[in-house]
Amino acid sequence: MKNPLKKMLGTLAGVAMLGMSAQALAEPLKIGYSDWPGWVAWEVAIEKQWFKEAGVDVQFEWFDYVASMDAFAAGQLDAVAMTNGDALVTGATGARNVMILINDYSNGNDMVVAAPGIDSVKDLKGKKVGVEIGFVGHLLLLNALQENGMSEADVELVNVPTNETPQVLASGDVDAIVAWQPNSGMALQMVPGATAVYSSADEPGLIYDVLAVSPSSLAANRDEWIKVARVWYRVVDYINDPKTRDDAVRIMASRVGLEPAEYETFIEGTKILTLDEARGFFEKTDGFDSLYGSSKLSDEFNVANEVYKDPQPIDDYIDATITDAL
Amino acid sequence: MSEAWFAVRKELNPRRRTVLAVLSFLIPLLVWALVSYLPFLWHPKVEVIEPGDVSYFREGMQVDRDVFERELEAMRTEGLTPPEGRRTNPIYLPAPHEVATALYTAFTTPPERRNEQWLHESLADSIQVIFWGFFLSSLIGVPLGILAGTYDVVSRLNEPFIEFFRYLPAPAFGALAVAILGIHDAPKIAIIFIGTFFQQVLVISNTTRKLDPALLEAAMTLGAKNVALLFKVVLPGIITDVYRDMRILLGWAWTYLIVAEMIGTSSGITWFITQQARYKNFDNVYAAIIIIGIIGLTTDLILAWLGRRIFPWQRHGARA
Repeated sequence: MKNPLKKMLGTLAGVAMLGMSAQALAEPLKIGYSDWPGWVAWEVAIEKQWFKEAGVDVQFEWFDYVASMDAFAAGQLDAVAMTNGDALVTGATGARNVMILINDYSNGNDMVVAAPGIDSVKDLKGKKVGVEIGFVGHLLLLNALQENGMSEADVELVNVPTNETPQVLASGDVDAIVAWQPNSGMALQMVPGATAVYSSADEPGLIYDVLAVSPSSLAANRDEWIKVARVWYRVVDYINDPKTRDDAVRIMASRVGLEPAEYETFIEGTKILTLDEARGFFEKTDGFDSLYGSSKLSDEFNVANEVYKDPQPIDDYIDATITDAL
Repeated sequence: MSEAWFAVRKELNPRRRTVLAVLSFLIPLLVWALVSYLPFLWHPKVEVIEPGDVSYFREGMQVDRDVFERELEAMRTEGLTPPEGRRTNPIYLPAPHEVATALYTAFTTPPERRNEQWLHESLADSIQVIFWGFFLSSLIGVPLGILAGTYDVVSRLNEPFIEFFRYLPAPAFGALAVAILGIHDAPKIAIIFIGTFFQQVLVISNTTRKLDPALLEAAMTLGAKNVALLFKVVLPGIITDVYRDMRILLGWAWTYLIVAEMIGTSSGITWFITQQARYKNFDNVYAAIIIIGIIGLTTDLILAWLGRRIFPWQRHGARA
């Protein structure tokens, strides 16, 4: 009776030790990413093993978007792909981070999709809107309302996880939803006659998609992060070069389980930035055409709408020097 | 074979039992096939084949039947090109043959990228998570349950707390598990553990208490003491029932798999299901759900068969 039990416990302890030692030995930079074209693009570098060529040890972990920010907040990741607005939300609620790289800005992929019969943002007055409260979709909605002389009080918000918004709109329980691709496109497809009454193309620069790194990892591995950024621009070149674009799209499409032709439309609503373009957005100006300006406006929105209480020190959240070093 | 089909508390003969078992699968399948292949039964949607002059119709779009009829009427009266369409079921109810095809292609599609997995590899991941969660739970839960069912002191010391804890929904520990255990398999295993363990202790202790007291009295009359009672009477007395409990509990562990795999990195069969659902490939979603069902049922049948081999004295039929 005793021996098999001992053996089992031994094996168990062994497994546990193995897990721990594996963690202690190699410490790659852990990066969380999720289903957004500007981040799925990292897949090209992973598939081509460009990180290895660049001599940087990284480990990409695929998540649902909110789960990826949770994992980052729990200290399980060195960096996470998120929007600049969500970087502030994540930072304000405890997980400080520094944006070192701008992947893209949303150029139409984020939308307010309204049921048939609602043709403009103004028509949303008094209606129910399904949105993931406190995150990027919420910000887009508030911006849309403000531009039309309305505020959050003019609509009724229903908290819906972004990836369930198409079904929720189709169910008829809400009159509009806020989502990004692929969910926004699916909502348009599932509800005939539905239209995008507002999208990020109406306010380019409202939503930047970035790589946000924990301050401690950035301080300890600065050179490694520069290498990561260098690999990113290799990816951007690969996507932009007409000769290799098809291959890039194929890799990205397979990450999310779509046909390349279908995925191409999602990339269109995402303005993936070249190094020169990105440098321009790292300039410190006030409007939406700067990461600083956009983040400042997001911050004001977030405070005004009580997403969090205290204004965030924007300068601490952005480190342009990594991109400048390339 | 002139026995009655409906006889109170009387077992049917083996042949009839087999027929009914097969029917229990065929009937739902038949209903599904009828709803899928006979357009007049349901088919509440129309798939647009040719949009005609309707501004918002697109090829391949599904619209409600009355919307389609209305637009058709409108186009006719205005003298514009009417749309063409075919009646169909909603996108979330694919036909059996579509699901069968999806089931086949899901397994035969090779991974396209270096870090992508075959479907059977994802499944192996999921099974591993279940295995470790259930194994660790049983390692503690079974002995504790038996002790609690045997000794009142163990029962009073543990069961009130366990009764409290079992009402806490396992998924609620998701974020906590990630913070403590990381993002890979460990927090998922923890969720399965939490979902299984507390029920397990209570179920096993109850089973232990159901042991015929006459057996214990007889043994004590013959001079059996504490430890001997436990190992020579209680354990052999309940072992077949505990085995049956474990089969049921394993099924419970499976029901926690999907929530467990939502936590941390996207992995296993759940990644496949949620990703396919996000892009509305419901044929793949059904295929994956069916795979889980098949794995579960097969495991249970194997365990039942094993049980009959290990415990040949078990009353035939009554417990299987």
